[in-house]
Amino acid sequence: MTTAIDIRGITKIYNPESNQPVKALDDVSLTINDNEFFTLLGPSGCGKTTLLRLIAGFEQVSGGEIMLFGEEIENLEPNRRPVNTVFQHYALFPHMTVADNVAFGLERLKKPKNEIVATVERVLTLVKMKHLGDRRPNQLSGGQQQRVALARALAPSPKVLLLDEPLSALDLKLRQAMREELKQLQKETGITFVFVTHDQEEALAMSDRIAVMSDGEVQQIGGPTDIYEHPVNRFVADFIGDTNFLDGEIVAVNDDLVTCRLGSNSMFEAENSGAHKIGDQVTLFLRPEKISLSAVGATNGQDTRPGKVANMTYLGNQAAYTVDMGDGIELTAQARPQENGKLPFAIGDSLAVGFSARALRVLAQ
Amino acid sequence: MSDWLPRSAAGRRWLGLAPSYFVIGIFMLVPMIIMGVFSFLEPNPYGGVKPVGSMAAYVKLFFEYDLEDQLVFNPGYINIIFRSFQLSFGATLLCLVFGFPVAYYITLQPENRRNFYIYLVTIPFWTNLLIRTFAWIIILGRGGVIETPLLAAGIIEDSLRMMYTDGAIAIGLTYSYLPLMVLPIYASLEKLDFRLLEAASDLYANRLEVMTRVVIPLCKPGIIAGCILVFIPCLGAFIAPNLLGGGKKLMLGSLVQFQFASARNWPFGAALSMLLLSAVVIMLIFYARAAKKRAAMEGDG
Repeated sequence: MTTAIDIRGITKIYNPESNQPVKALDDVSLTINDNEFFTLLGPSGCGKTTLLRLIAGFEQVSGGEIMLFGEEIENLEPNRRPVNTVFQHYALFPHMTVADNVAFGLERLKKPKNEIVATVERVLTLVKMKHLGDRRPNQLSGGQQQRVALARALAPSPKVLLLDEPLSALDLKLRQAMREELKQLQKETGITFVFVTHDQEEALAMSDRIAVMSDGEVQQIGGPTDIYEHPVNRFVADFIGDTNFLDGEIVAVNDDLVTCRLGSNSMFEAENSGAHKIGDQVTLFLRPEKISLSAVGATNGQDTRPGKVANMTYLGNQAAYTVDMGDGIELTAQARPQENGKLPFAIGDSLAVGFSARALRVLAQ
Repeated sequence: MSDWLPRSAAGRRWLGLAPSYFVIGIFMLVPMIIMGVFSFLEPNPYGGVKPVGSMAAYVKLFFEYDLEDQLVFNPGYINIIFRSFQLSFGATLLCLVFGFPVAYYITLQPENRRNFYIYLVTIPFWTNLLIRTFAWIIILGRGGVIETPLLAAGIIEDSLRMMYTDGAIAIGLTYSYLPLMVLPIYASLEKLDFRLLEAASDLYANRLEVMTRVVIPLCKPGIIAGCILVFIPCLGAFIAPNLLGGGKKLMLGSLVQFQFASARNWPFGAALSMLLLSAVVIMLIFYARAAKKRAAMEGDG
């Protein structure tokens, strides 16, 4: 596997001379493989966009190296880096037609005229915008502008395509449709995509690998299932999806399970990650969809605990229940409405709450 | 509802606009009509006009009477008009060359400091143009600020003779109207989305190409407005040509001023002004047409 981008110990400090320097990135290292859909995911202010801008060359690194296919690029001007960017607000040139926008990069690279015409047509066809080549950007809808921005960045056949929250300005339906298309486009072109987003759903749906960032540091790098199922810390578990966190102390360690005491004296078994010993203060996490709720007595022999519905939020395709397990422990769980649309439980109902010990995982503190 | 208010919406609108119409009428239309009428009358040798219709003023623009009282073509005034356009064009170009970087520089400053710089640009307007132009005599003149040190250092042996040249007039005009170039360009640059500059450099444009392909095309309205604002007063200027050009090399403005003040040929001065006015109006019509076409091309989104 070829490495497309190798980021080595990148630090970025804004206003280093002033009395309020801001450390946007702190010694970040990661590698992005060739032909990969790589996502930088994190809340706003985590440094993901800064990292993208450093790769594009709009900002200067304060320390560290950026290698692009083995070539050091962190000191090159943006126009000397063989990467192209899809900007968050598209940044299309308003004084040019769609076709001229797409041709811009090719013209600067001094490609022959007939090649430019052919490439513009090919790329516009790829994003289904060929029929609108004569329009101006302000005559297009948001989704269409998005496609033109993509076409413009793809036209010069960059070695890496950088995408800065390109879907954030679109409405929900269009955003979901564009996810599919972007993924498809990445496969068709074989270009490495580096995608910045704060939307965890987007990241899970499209990425080959995800780097979860927070406070200028990379928290975890892995495939979507890795990140979702095996978050390395509380931040990652909390940022990706909904989660129940349970704080407790390990009281017993077996081969593949540990036993935790939660609340005053409630014992929960969890998967043994091998990193913890008796007496450790730990946080367990449990995804709501791994919890099954059933009426008392209808459990089919499954191992359950008693609970009581404390609160309920209706979400249409499901309802989110807050279940009081006693001993100060509350769990969030989900249940689908019945076929006639009636919700299975009401506030105050007693329940049987079931989950496997393997769904409960111990987080590093 | 009071009874005296007009009933229709159009009537009410007219009533609201009436003060503006009144002011425009008194201060623009009436003087222009007076000037137009005067240009078709005979001059009174003691100043003012005689109420006798005459085309003499317009004939004088192109012809003169020779010794035998025959009308012959006289290129003198046409040359002055031509020179005025040339000098004004030169001064406008100089204003653009110096004004654009200034406006661009101000745009790049942090937002809270931009107003301060704009304020600095307007400072020259606080004192009289006449006095400021006299200052240029001290700078450019014989034994002036530029010559004296050069002479003392032995770099030059004789006066540079910078005064009373077209160059001196162009410098004077450029100095006088530079702020009028900076302000509209700044206004259009300020609206420029600087992410477009990043997009251009991301797409392999070097610094020059970013300027010529993105920045300049997008602030073209400001550049055109600035050029018009500089070019038109340059055409009619008489302080800089009189003081720095020595009044020998006349420009249209000084010629007009001369007709009213010294030559006592008001109709000819009025005819010259009408000529100047028509030239300006024609240019503005072209500009308005171009702007309309541009707006139509870019669509309204």
